[in-house]
Amino acid sequence: MLAEHLKLAPALLLFAVLALFIIVGLASRTAKGEYYLVSGRSVGSVGIGAAIASNWMSAASILGIAGIFYLQGYFAFAYVIGWTGGYVLLLILMGGQIRRFGKYTAPEFVEARYESPIARVLSASIAILISLVYCVAQYKGVGLVFSWIFGLDYIPSLLFGTAVVISYLVLSGTLGALRNQRFHYTVLILCFILPLVLVARKMGFFWLVPQVGYGEALQEIAFHADNAGTAPWLHGTPYQWIALCFTLMVGTAGLPHVLSRFYTVPNIRDARWSVMWGLVFIGLLYWSAPAYATFAKLWELRHGLVTDPATAKAIADIIVIKAAEWAGLPVWITGIVALAAILAAFSTITGLLITGAGAFSYDIYYQLINPRATERQRMIVAKITTLVLAMLVLIVAANPPGLIAEITAVAFALAGNTLFPIFLLGIWWDRTNKQGAIAGMLLGLVVTFIPLLLGPWLPWLTAILPPTGSALIGAPLVILVTIGVSLLTPPPPDRIRRFLLEKVHTP
Amino acid sequence: MTQDPSSQGQSSSQGRVNFFRPLPGFMRKKVHYIWILLASWAVFTFGFQFILVLLQEGPAGCSQLTTTRFLGFPFHYWFSGQFLILWFILLCLLYNLFVDKLTNEYRKRK
Repeated sequence: MLAEHLKLAPALLLFAVLALFIIVGLASRTAKGEYYLVSGRSVGSVGIGAAIASNWMSAASILGIAGIFYLQGYFAFAYVIGWTGGYVLLLILMGGQIRRFGKYTAPEFVEARYESPIARVLSASIAILISLVYCVAQYKGVGLVFSWIFGLDYIPSLLFGTAVVISYLVLSGTLGALRNQRFHYTVLILCFILPLVLVARKMGFFWLVPQVGYGEALQEIAFHADNAGTAPWLHGTPYQWIALCFTLMVGTAGLPHVLSRFYTVPNIRDARWSVMWGLVFIGLLYWSAPAYATFAKLWELRHGLVTDPATAKAIADIIVIKAAEWAGLPVWITGIVALAAILAAFSTITGLLITGAGAFSYDIYYQLINPRATERQRMIVAKITTLVLAMLVLIVAANPPGLIAEITAVAFALAGNTLFPIFLLGIWWDRTNKQGAIAGMLLGLVVTFIPLLLGPWLPWLTAILPPTGSALIGAPLVILVTIGVSLLTPPPPDRIRRFLLEKVHTP
Repeated sequence: MTQDPSSQGQSSSQGRVNFFRPLPGFMRKKVHYIWILLASWAVFTFGFQFILVLLQEGPAGCSQLTTTRFLGFPFHYWFSGQFLILWFILLCLLYNLFVDKLTNEYRKRK
């Protein structure tokens, strides 16, 4: 049972920082009150990189990585490497070209490239599904952390947390507060690393750079368990590791709200360099998360605690908080890392719900259901959709089907099996046509969801296509089918092919 | 299907976008470099896991690589948890430097 009692300092800290974010958001508005997706003045590639990292940080980064590392050790690096290595793919294969294409959302790109309303609606539906799955992981994080702060059971905490995030979203929207992403990143990374420094110091390791100091802690763990504790394949096969890692990589490159970062960058060179800086800033977090898990694991060993598997699984997703708590840090400092998790989850939830609602309102409702809708009507539909999506996520999150990192990985599998192949081929092969794209996306959906839904009855299928690692086979398969169907059907219009050649692939 | 000769000629002279058959010049140089970086990315990431399997002395994967200490870490933890992120950052850096140079080159030619 995670519920204990209300922790006043973290609770006050939470509401104070949420208020601060709104105030900073208001101050970030331009003098004219105009809304820009990016600040009006140029912020340079380093600043954009921080915005990318801010956009990337979520409950999966702050809580999920440490949780999976605590339970699965080396196997967790498949998540770390997948979620960083994907940025290399994104940069060298798609980033600059997507920016040159000049569309602002994934569905818009799909329609412009393939000239197909069906493909657009399909990609919008997929984007919504990805947002929903991703949000479940965030909601779980919110539920667990609110439970820790307010001493409530998981379900009440989930409801309370949802109410707070929706209120925050509505308040920010109503006041027109912008999210200052560089400020957001700075607050999050400091909130995450400062407690880690103190934990390392308390545990007796090199605390100035705890990301390095935890190596000694690993050695101590290995000593306790006769080197077995750090063995690579204790918790998964090499195939599973590679499948998961690859899936997260192509998922990163295909994720709609990651790609959307490129649409809004003022110039292409800054877009490219911002990916590198984004990776530096993200790396800072991923170098740190395993340290929390390691210190927590070692603390248990030093105190002779043998945690049973059920309890270990229950606390895994808040192990960053447990690590700080067990090390004996003051509750307000422990509260700082809890705060980082909530802030990251909140910003991700708002981003995902808005993306999902926008996709429904504009790409499905306006294109398919009511083509004559006014902008006001579309806005109303978007707001209603936001609430509906929030409720759907709540229902699933009430009984979460896995760890935060695992749930998030399924969203990446979906992106990697569907949008990544369609974007990649859309950019790099001008012969790809709408029939191929539609067939590819449909197959991607099948490959993603059959192992998820039918897994219990088809164990051999989940061995080949693990729910979190289905893109190792799925992505190449979708690419091949897309190519095959494209070759069997008429080529795309010449003006699209010319556009690709003359606008997308020239210096 | 009958095709307009002038249109066909125009299309042919303009070429096509194909990752496996890049056009000479900017696109080909860029794709060539992309292949190098993709290979570096894949070999270091998946190649290392393959080596871990190759050298393992039991199903859990222990080997000399896992018992060797490097900068305070078991080597495989350092490689996958610390080094690979640095490697990815380096690949991004190299790509950006290369494309900056290539873009400047080809813009001057116009």
